[in-house]
Amino acid sequence: MSFWRHRRREADLEEEVRSHLEMAARERAERGEKEEEAKRAARREFGNVELVKEVTRDRWGRRWLENLYEDARFGLRVLGKSPGFTAVAILTLAIGIGANTAIFSLLDGLELRNLPVPHPEQLVRFGAHIPGNDYAALSLPMFQELSRGQKVFSGTFAWWPDIVFDAEIDGSLARADVWGVDNNFYRELGAVPEVGRLFDSEDENLSANAAAQVAVLSYGFWQSRYGGAADVIRKTLKIDGIPFTIIGVTRKGFTGLSAYMEMDVTLPLPARQLFGGEADMQKYLQRRAARWLQAAGRLRPGVTLEQARAQLGSLWPEIRQEMVPPDKTFADLGRFRDLQLKVESGAIVLAISGLVLLVACVNLANLMLARAASRSHEMAVRAALGAGRARIVRQMLTESVMLSVAGTLAGWVFAHWASHGISDFILGEIYSVPAALNLAPDWRILGFAAGMAILMGVLFGLAPAWRATQEDPNVALQHGSRTLGKGTSRLGRRLIVTQVALSLVLLMGSGLFVRTLKKLRDANPGFRTHSLLDVSLHPKPNGYKDLDLVNYYRQLTDRIADVPGVESSGMMRAIFGNVLEWTERIRITGSDAEGLEADFEMATPGFFETAGITLLQGRKFEWQDDDHAPGVAIVSQNFAQKLFRNDNAIGRRLDVMNARNWRNLKIIGVVSNASLYDIRKAQTPTVYLPSTQYKDFMGWPELLVQTSLPPAAIADALRRTVESQGREYVFSIKTVRQNIDRSILQERVTAMLSAFFGALALLLAAIGLYGLMAYAVTQRTREIGIRMALGAKRSSVLRIVLREVIVLVGTGVGIGLPCAFAATRLIDHMLYGVSPNDPVTVACVVGALLAVGVLAAYLPARRAMRIDPMVALRCE
Amino acid sequence: MEGLIRGKTVGEKTQRYQNRIEILQGTLDLLILQTLQWGPQHGYGISVAIRNRSGELLQVDTGSLYPALHRLEKQKWIKAEWRISENKQRAKFYQLTAAGKKQLTRERSKWSQLSDAIAGVLQPEE
Repeated sequence: MSFWRHRRREADLEEEVRSHLEMAARERAERGEKEEEAKRAARREFGNVELVKEVTRDRWGRRWLENLYEDARFGLRVLGKSPGFTAVAILTLAIGIGANTAIFSLLDGLELRNLPVPHPEQLVRFGAHIPGNDYAALSLPMFQELSRGQKVFSGTFAWWPDIVFDAEIDGSLARADVWGVDNNFYRELGAVPEVGRLFDSEDENLSANAAAQVAVLSYGFWQSRYGGAADVIRKTLKIDGIPFTIIGVTRKGFTGLSAYMEMDVTLPLPARQLFGGEADMQKYLQRRAARWLQAAGRLRPGVTLEQARAQLGSLWPEIRQEMVPPDKTFADLGRFRDLQLKVESGAIVLAISGLVLLVACVNLANLMLARAASRSHEMAVRAALGAGRARIVRQMLTESVMLSVAGTLAGWVFAHWASHGISDFILGEIYSVPAALNLAPDWRILGFAAGMAILMGVLFGLAPAWRATQEDPNVALQHGSRTLGKGTSRLGRRLIVTQVALSLVLLMGSGLFVRTLKKLRDANPGFRTHSLLDVSLHPKPNGYKDLDLVNYYRQLTDRIADVPGVESSGMMRAIFGNVLEWTERIRITGSDAEGLEADFEMATPGFFETAGITLLQGRKFEWQDDDHAPGVAIVSQNFAQKLFRNDNAIGRRLDVMNARNWRNLKIIGVVSNASLYDIRKAQTPTVYLPSTQYKDFMGWPELLVQTSLPPAAIADALRRTVESQGREYVFSIKTVRQNIDRSILQERVTAMLSAFFGALALLLAAIGLYGLMAYAVTQRTREIGIRMALGAKRSSVLRIVLREVIVLVGTGVGIGLPCAFAATRLIDHMLYGVSPNDPVTVACVVGALLAVGVLAAYLPARRAMRIDPMVALRCE
Repeated sequence: MEGLIRGKTVGEKTQRYQNRIEILQGTLDLLILQTLQWGPQHGYGISVAIRNRSGELLQVDTGSLYPALHRLEKQKWIKAEWRISENKQRAKFYQLTAAGKKQLTRERSKWSQLSDAIAGVLQPEE
């Protein structure tokens, strides 16, 4: 290493100078001078040895390396001497950098990271949706028409999204994420087989009624279930009891349409008909209005998203006309990205975590300032001893960079830990299967955050050092720390005020999110949220064949009601608290009104008692309301009021506008209001139809069970009861509370993250205030001593210190509040039940900041009170 | 650059002090290279040689000599080697390289041009 070369060169120079001096002395001695005299004269003649060495070394170049080593060694010693400062600075940096990196990495992993396919930016998803509802899909005929007519894509492809099935492999059962894809799917996504082949046109004939029973496995599934055995091809795998022959395995790293979900097993598109659900699956899949397909296309080169939207949009009216059901608009064309969390929420979290970095930087700046001020004496000494300004500045720079590097490393560890914790929490809630998410902390983000931190450290570390070296060392030395002036520098105070203001904005945000969550948790959705279980049933293959579903359901509900611990039970079609709400447009039979958008549900007898929705008027559904009986409906009170004002709703008739057969339904009952799907909404008008009258909708039921027993205690009994019927098996058992919690996931994540960041900000503010006050007290030791010698009481000393803190915090609050009010208006739409200027939140936040300030000042204040006047006056 | 050197400072006879001549900027390199042409020499030897050959008029300051030596070494005009001197002392001897010889020729011609030019200026007009 050049370092060793440098050392040798240094020794060489030393010896060269010594030999010079010795030779000069010897010559003088030979001329007759006394030995001692000769040595001294030789030295005098030579001049300043160290200076000569110094200017000679300058010719070597590469001096910076040696200086760097020296600076670093000295810096380490200095930092080691004040472990408190070092720890706080590194911690501050780690929190700021780590939190940011974690959040960015997580969002990146979830949605920003490109799909592992070629040119993901060309992929455009298209589908029809009902306004106000995010669910967009196409029927098979719609997809075929659009694919035929489109001119903007080089290719289109379709799939049905994942369904978790039981997969039987060599006699053992496992869960598998199963997708159905058309034969363009793999080609358009640029996938290649690891072994075997992927689907081609032989495997899929959309018009033929039979589906080829072949399957493609993902690399991950192949590895975990078959140990990567090459002879997997032509083996048989049973999905829900139906055999499929394995024809290929996709290459490692291909995750298909989502960056974070595995496609364990893919089947040809028509295989969907092999799995039950609807009474006549084959017919259902061909139905023009049955939207069960997801579709996407790859843009031709040079075609923009807007052009694609326009071209497909021009095709749409005609296709929609053919497909009939009115009122579906074609709007959902978006860049292909899998948005699980809404971007909106992500942006807010980003802003919050950015604010944390800012607070951390301000804190760091303050620390560096206080430190630089306390070292001005040292700097003056060094300047007096001949250190150049550049040398001193370089020393400070080295120390700042060392702190920043240490902080970045700690932040990286923190980011790693935090992003995994957060993603486990979020994804664990969304999928029961572990998600394959790439969460490696993003280097760009880490670099950016670290760069910010280094810049702050450098700026605020250097500025005072620079100023110190410009002062006359003599003046600085005489000053020492004997001044009586204000202990705290003006810049330091400003920084503290800024920090308090920023923390306040952050805390206001997190306070509002936490209150929103609390309100949502406490919100009364109008149905029972406790002691209620939602049992998802899954029909076995051919489980419903030749079955009178009405009778069967009645029998099943009775059996379930007999299970010990069950108070009541009923069945429904759509899950409570489901993000995919079921809404329909409904009007009075015979009118041509626009109709009323209402939440929609199909239920069996027993549903209302179990759900805790009370009957106000008329009667509930009976088992006699089957498909032979006239169509009936039950409506919520607010629905009745909206449509019939003060008239009696019982006996009136309704049409469901999008369904041709759901006409002339007689209202037989009015029930209490509820928000079945989205508890954020004020209780929405709701219409209930009896499932027993719509056999097409009786597959895939949800069993609602009211029980006072804990879910774990009763789950086995429920499972056994369902499976003893031999028709279905239990897919999942969840409490309705869990479903609701899942539906407010976004609020929970936001509240959790922002509370986390709020706590960090508060902690940082406390550290900052404590540091500043401790420093101020030390600086004012002499002043306090004089005051006490002159008779000031201890309590008045305490008052002086506390007053300073309260003034600082008060100023910060005064500046921060208007900013906070402006900022919270931006998140108004994310709040529920609290106003952006919520006085409770304001009071709590201001109180917390004051408390933290007083607490941070208390320790230094106590020290100040204990100052012995005599010691204080004599010290220094 | 660093060729501009003060004369001697302390402890010399007044006579000499008055006779000191500042070595012109850029000439120290020439003096060193020229001195080394007669054979390898160490730093002290070089300063003594310059002083003696100039009749004690030119005094090379160590603060200029050593930086110059190290710079010339870096420019590969001279190379250094540890040897034992006549009086059995270990010393760092400098020696001209081939490039250094060429450089010396250049510096010499530059110097003679300069001295001719100065002489021309100083000649009384006729």
